[in-house]
Amino acid sequence: MKVLLVGDGARENALADALANSPKGYRVFAVSSYVNPGIKEAVERTGGTYYIGKPTDPESVRQVIKAVNPDFGVIGPEDPLFNGVADEFRKEGIPVVGASKNCSTIEKSKVWMRELMWKYGIPGRLRFRAFSSVEEAAEFIKEYGGSVAVKPAEQVGGKGVKVVADLQAYLSKEKRIALSKGVSAIGSYAKGSVKIIIEEKVDGPEYTLHVLSDGNVTLPLPLAQDYKHAYLHSIGPETGGMGSISGPGKLLPFITDEEYERSYDIVRRTIQAIEDTFKEKYVGVISGQMMLTGLWGPTIIEYYSRLGDPEASAIIPRIKSDFGEVLELTATGHLAKAKLEVEEAPSVVRAVAPRGYPLNKEMASNKRIWLDLPKMRELGCKVYFGSVALEGNSLVTKGSRALELVAVQPFEEADKTLNKCFSLVSSEIPLIYRRDIGITIAEQVEKAEIVRFTYKNREARGLLGVSADWSPQGGLW
Amino acid sequence: MAGIVGVLAFDKVWDVTKFVYYGTLGLQHRGYSYSGLSTLNEGFSTLRERRAPEDVEEDSLAQLHGWAGVGYSGNTEGIPVEGKEAVMVYDGVIKGDLPSIADSIARDPERALAELRGSASLIVLTKDGRMIGYKDDYGIKPLQMGGFGFDLAILASESSAFNVLGGEMTKELEPGEMVIIDVYGVQTKQVKEPRRAYCAIDIVYQSRIDSKVFGLDVYDVRVRIGEALAEERPINGDVVIGVPDTAIPYAIGYSRKLGLRLDLGFTRTGSPIRTMLAKDDFLKVVGVQLKLNPIKSSVKGKKVVLIDDSMVTGNTLKNTVFNLRRLGAKEVHVLIGSPKLISACPYGMEVPDSKELIAANLSDEEIAKVIGADSIYWLSVEGLKKAIGHSHLCLGCMTKVYPKVI
Repeated sequence: MKVLLVGDGARENALADALANSPKGYRVFAVSSYVNPGIKEAVERTGGTYYIGKPTDPESVRQVIKAVNPDFGVIGPEDPLFNGVADEFRKEGIPVVGASKNCSTIEKSKVWMRELMWKYGIPGRLRFRAFSSVEEAAEFIKEYGGSVAVKPAEQVGGKGVKVVADLQAYLSKEKRIALSKGVSAIGSYAKGSVKIIIEEKVDGPEYTLHVLSDGNVTLPLPLAQDYKHAYLHSIGPETGGMGSISGPGKLLPFITDEEYERSYDIVRRTIQAIEDTFKEKYVGVISGQMMLTGLWGPTIIEYYSRLGDPEASAIIPRIKSDFGEVLELTATGHLAKAKLEVEEAPSVVRAVAPRGYPLNKEMASNKRIWLDLPKMRELGCKVYFGSVALEGNSLVTKGSRALELVAVQPFEEADKTLNKCFSLVSSEIPLIYRRDIGITIAEQVEKAEIVRFTYKNREARGLLGVSADWSPQGGLW
Repeated sequence: MAGIVGVLAFDKVWDVTKFVYYGTLGLQHRGYSYSGLSTLNEGFSTLRERRAPEDVEEDSLAQLHGWAGVGYSGNTEGIPVEGKEAVMVYDGVIKGDLPSIADSIARDPERALAELRGSASLIVLTKDGRMIGYKDDYGIKPLQMGGFGFDLAILASESSAFNVLGGEMTKELEPGEMVIIDVYGVQTKQVKEPRRAYCAIDIVYQSRIDSKVFGLDVYDVRVRIGEALAEERPINGDVVIGVPDTAIPYAIGYSRKLGLRLDLGFTRTGSPIRTMLAKDDFLKVVGVQLKLNPIKSSVKGKKVVLIDDSMVTGNTLKNTVFNLRRLGAKEVHVLIGSPKLISACPYGMEVPDSKELIAANLSDEEIAKVIGADSIYWLSVEGLKKAIGHSHLCLGCMTKVYPKVI
């Protein structure tokens, strides 16, 4: 069978590997915007063809679909989904793992997502305000009481989230001024008429629940947690994720079985609400980017209409059963037949990015890097290639996270393995590598314990999700 | 004695002046005779004042503006130190010409820090926008790092500064570890092998009880010190009283362990000025009377167990005991939540020379007589180690054994 994979990053490298390693013997074809060495290897190993095109452009992908005539497709990133690439597959009668343009609105529009959650009364929702004018948003921030999170109204790869924490009243003026200055930058990310969404601020450990949906049946994947801060020890600007952990088992050390089930319920109800709204099946991956909060327990921060990156690299290597086949069954509507066996041992993923990421793309681009891949594999480390292109015989950075290093081992061992692997990577520019990822489990456990006291108490008093803010100028919100 | 803080914003829309200032306010319990701030825009603007952060006028902060800055609250004049290339704040002792040391750290951090003479934790902010933190190889003084959201990186002596700013402390530097933070990254490097001699006074006395220092929750350690005192010296008193603020957790631990009644013995007049830090004896005496007024109902007709954190000359305690007796305390038994201070601190903690330390000069009976107590007892060194949970400590002022020659 032929499978066509769309996308070019580390997540797609992990998907390509899963497909290429399947006992079903898929021939892997792929379309990327540059030559990802990991995807290239999977394609060549299975006798497929690697196309360089525009994964985000439906027309460009359609030509590849015609040329390959695949049995099914797998779409990695969100932009192709937003642009209707999944719909192109289906127009040609080819089953595909990937939300339709309509269904991917759950990720694309944060305002639509919140409205949907409120309309259907789905737990884990937050209060929000949407603004079409940057000035109004800035005014609201300056005048309003309470702590807020300010985000672009559309998905822009995790860019531009700012948070005003207002517990320190004496500093709130400084925080609010900086934020209202920053708002126009945040608003510039959104292309639509609604620019900015402001939500009530919540706190707690974050985690991700991915759910596969074939339109009838859903299948939850093991939990993962990604690490958003760019630099060591959770310092620095927001990124798409500098690493992740998953496990042990289907959980994380700080999330209970009950919280897992509740999270799954929230995501399932959301899938139903999407299908109900568009009268369309949701076929693909949906991931709840969640936080365990004092307000709700499991709470939705945002939704992805695809696998998270770098969460995918933490989850896929832990699946002992045939994940390639699971993807086929998702695309073709036979997910009820899927088996999902998960490795008990956890995994740790650490991304490697060139200095300059995420604030200065030019600085982070076009730098050569070198690695001793065989030796890294010998050490028990998987390497997925991300924003790095094979140009001639050189690996050249493309400005974002270049590599994801993965070890499926107990956390302390994974830490050592990954550090050894990282020492086999070199570059003409200093590299960012967060060696603190996977070693702060106790802190996460404590954070979860703290919010659990609050939400359990709220629950007992029937106050889950109940909150409000008030200011003299703005009144009650 | 000092608290130091550094703040760097990843986006230049931030003015961090107030963050640095409130950071110093969150550290002023570590020493407050002088305060200072430097902020960085194109160049540095610096403010140095001979007063505590809380007394710095709002107006004088208005002249500062910048996207990165360092702050100081402590007992040494002239900090932040200003070189040509960098400014520096430090807690501890650094030998040599300070401005040129700050510059050499800016030029070649690793080498300059490896060659640093003295014993200190420090933060250097360079003109080109690097914030360099370093804790020397013995790690006598604390230094921690963390952030505020996706916007600011913070370095500070104690987690109390992070709490005040609403940030999160994520890591205490290892002894001998350097960190360099700029807009594009955070790098750490072990410049020297860690030797680990954490200042015991910092843990038992100087740090704030909501802080975590050297990986220890300060409040928990102090309650355990009270419990250790109860094991070493159980006294069947009518009431246990701790001298505010430091000794209250000791009193809580002591009374809980022995099932004794705990009461508040004092209330405060004015702001919490530390009598241990006052230079002049007269001020110390006046200080204690201004500061702590005993509560008659708590002590009248009672056998009082009075717990304090340390004893330097004994003057403060003598006054306290006298005041309790004046209000009708029947007996006053004094317990000290740290071992005897017998020797000066060469690392910047203000423990005076032996000749000024009562415990270095008199026997226990004599001291009890001087301060007018029925009995007196100090926590043993072993008891202290047990309460802290390890012995990687600098106990120089208590044992005359100094970990580092400077």
